[in-house]
Amino acid sequence: MDLVVTYGLNFAYSTATLGLIVLGLAVVFGLLGVMNMAHGEFVMLGAYSALTVQQAGLPFLLAIPLALIVCGALGWLMEWSVIRHLYRRPFDTFLATWGIAILMRKGVEVTFGREYQSVDQSLPGTVSLLGIDYPAYRLVLMAVIVVMFAALFVWYQRSNTGARIKAMVQNPDLAAAVGINTARLSRATFVTGVAIAGLAGVLLAPLVRVEPYMGLDYLLSSFFILVVGGLGTIEGLITGSSIIGGADVIISAIFDKTAGYLGVLAISILFLWLRPDGIFSRR
Amino acid sequence: MSAAPLLSIENLTGGYGEIVIVTDMSLAVAAGEALCVTGRNGVGKSTLVRLVTGALKPASGKVIFEGEDLTFAPAHGRARQGMGYAPQEGVVFDTLSVAENLTLHHSDRSLERYRELFAMFPRLPDRLGQRAGTLSGGEKKILSFCRALAEDTRLVILDEPTEGVQPENIALMAEAINSAKAVGRGFLIVEQNLSLVEAVADHAALMDHGECIYTHSGTVNLRAELSRRLKI
Amino acid sequence: MKRRDFIKSSLGAALVGALSGNAITSAFAAGPIKVGILIPLSGPAGLFGPSSQNCAQMAVDEINASGGILGRQIEPVYVDVGGPPADATQAALKLWKGEKAEAFIGMHDSAVRGALTNLFKGQVPYIYTPVYEGGECAAGTYVIGETPEQQLAPVIPWLAKEKGATKWYLIGNDYNWPRDTNAAAKGYIEASGGEVVGEEYLPFTADNFDSNLAKIKDTGANAVLITLVGGASVGFNRAFASFGLADSAIRLGTLIEENTLAGIGAENSKGLYSSAGYFASIDTPAATAFAEAYAAKFGADAAALNSLGESCYEGVLLLSALAGKAQSLSASDIDAIAEGTTYEGPRGQATMSNRHVAKDIYLAEADGTAFKVVQTFANVDPGNNCG
Repeated sequence: MDLVVTYGLNFAYSTATLGLIVLGLAVVFGLLGVMNMAHGEFVMLGAYSALTVQQAGLPFLLAIPLALIVCGALGWLMEWSVIRHLYRRPFDTFLATWGIAILMRKGVEVTFGREYQSVDQSLPGTVSLLGIDYPAYRLVLMAVIVVMFAALFVWYQRSNTGARIKAMVQNPDLAAAVGINTARLSRATFVTGVAIAGLAGVLLAPLVRVEPYMGLDYLLSSFFILVVGGLGTIEGLITGSSIIGGADVIISAIFDKTAGYLGVLAISILFLWLRPDGIFSRR
Repeated sequence: MSAAPLLSIENLTGGYGEIVIVTDMSLAVAAGEALCVTGRNGVGKSTLVRLVTGALKPASGKVIFEGEDLTFAPAHGRARQGMGYAPQEGVVFDTLSVAENLTLHHSDRSLERYRELFAMFPRLPDRLGQRAGTLSGGEKKILSFCRALAEDTRLVILDEPTEGVQPENIALMAEAINSAKAVGRGFLIVEQNLSLVEAVADHAALMDHGECIYTHSGTVNLRAELSRRLKI
Repeated sequence: MKRRDFIKSSLGAALVGALSGNAITSAFAAGPIKVGILIPLSGPAGLFGPSSQNCAQMAVDEINASGGILGRQIEPVYVDVGGPPADATQAALKLWKGEKAEAFIGMHDSAVRGALTNLFKGQVPYIYTPVYEGGECAAGTYVIGETPEQQLAPVIPWLAKEKGATKWYLIGNDYNWPRDTNAAAKGYIEASGGEVVGEEYLPFTADNFDSNLAKIKDTGANAVLITLVGGASVGFNRAFASFGLADSAIRLGTLIEENTLAGIGAENSKGLYSSAGYFASIDTPAATAFAEAYAAKFGADAAALNSLGESCYEGVLLLSALAGKAQSLSASDIDAIAEGTTYEGPRGQATMSNRHVAKDIYLAEADGTAFKVVQTFANVDPGNNCG
């Protein structure tokens, strides 16, 4: 029974954190069609924001505004200098953002060093829940992610900006013709996407290894989730996260971690093959 | 044509990249009047409209709206300045609701500005919550028409507004256009349906191979002249 | 590359300086000895590149200052072997045949070592320095690194006796080093009266360890032998502690060095032990002097000392000892006298035995993000690697 609860919570945790990680890429790739190979690097910058705040002896929560500012500013610069010239040119975007990712990794390596860093959990220890001990920080993080997603979902469905983004994604010419400044909205969307990636980095920093090359893992898992869940909907994103996270947890529990990893890979390949638009496709 | 037109197109030339489709077009739309542009398929009517709305950048010539040179203004800027536009294709945002289609560009999100149009086309207010993608082709055209006609636009550009629309609704469209003209709004309408042209046009222009080959003012003999030339 | 040019030109300048003086010694007449130092400067192990290069350079400078090897100065040539074995082989071949390198010192993975022993075929002395799975017996090849026997034979009984480690869970990355280490561990665990309650191998890309931790908890393990490497080890250990498992089980790692511990973090390092031939915090005169010299030479911001980096220092010392004893750099001369060669390094005294070295092994316990040596096992035999 305890084991079932543990696996249940692990599944929930894995879904929630994967959702958090993929969200920024879902915005940038799912809405703007920009395959941002530097997505993981923005997560990495978020984690280093948390590290910087910790090294300065400031409260952990200050890392959130720091990461939003750093990632937002960098995202703005990146959109202005590179991305805006490459919309609807996926391969060029792919190469350009990969180059930017390398620069970001090297930049952090020069500034902070290549070595592993550790960000403390602001809520260490475990909490007894349903008969098992579960890390307190994880439980709070899950709650934060759920609230964040709910708020985002409501905002995206109800707000005028949400409608404008959907309009721009679906029919950019018409969106411009009705008076939507698509260039500005694209930039705002891109900046928001990378800032969300930075936020994910802050929130995950206490749980993961922090080093300049950490971003690659996040790019890969985000890509798998988008393949399975499809682009452009929050439902797809959550479903994709739970399928990827769930397959990993369940297969790893029954067999071993290698099988879990292969399972995730197999599911992603099957989706690419049989349902290239994912479960929830906006088409 | 009147001295100070709402919209004037001067020697406009342009197309897609290197390919020039519209050559040296000069037209004007006065406030309170409708200019209908007609011609066979593929003569460059939609390209002309896209040059005027800003979806395409012209190679040369000018687009002047209310005295201001908007030739290279971005599309969204022209809309903000009071140009309404209903395109020929991709007329609505399929994934948005009917209500969102009508309000997303207005920060007050009010449907009040559509009251009179809703009275004419009552099927529309009945379907406000429905996704626009589920409407029929004719209904989408009406939705797009209403959005472009919303009261704060001073120039309305319509590209084949009647395509797929039932005749009784075409008559209602003409009625709506004429009452908008009565309050001083101008229209640039690309249309092949001569019934609508006859019902609303103050001036008509006939296009062929990207050029204006004939213009006609007033409604006298309009249909006969246009039909004769269209058949050649 | 810049650095190499710099070293070359400064050596050149030194040479010109010496020649213009009146003392044209035999040392300079014979020219410097080129030694290929093969370390990862890129790729996943690139983390260890800077400390490895620093340590090797320090040994070279010290030996050169005291007259070099056989009276000849050492000219180190650093080569990045962080890529695939084929690239490493190419680079080594160029250095060997092209630039006439007379010896090689390598700190890299076993796949690269296998490719290099095939390439060298015992024709050039080759010293392999990092911790590894044991079993290398190729001619001309000398191994400094800790073998599983050395890291585990004294340590597992000690942990059983002192810390009550009886139910072991073995977890590692999926390649030969963890598998061979665990194979050796099983024998020592049984001999110490304990049992293995679980064994698992993870892909290198693993970043979520929840299912492994659930299994560890479920088995009631009170000791975990960790042969995960690098980032996987950091991630695993952080999650391990966050689940509160540090209170119910000790952890022993055979490749948890200072960098990995820094990534694991102070709040996750309770009950974490590491077994190795070197820690930056070893409190012996030789080790302290080494650490002080390192800090003085490279400054406070230099790459932190760790067992892998330091092994390159030992590698240069061993080369010097072997060449000194053989009075030659030829592979066959050295092979003839290698057995029993000794040298003194920061790790303590090391003695060649079966192409490996018998040496002191330290068991350290993490104290925050530093290691504190809790037990020293003197002159531990490397095991029978050439059986």
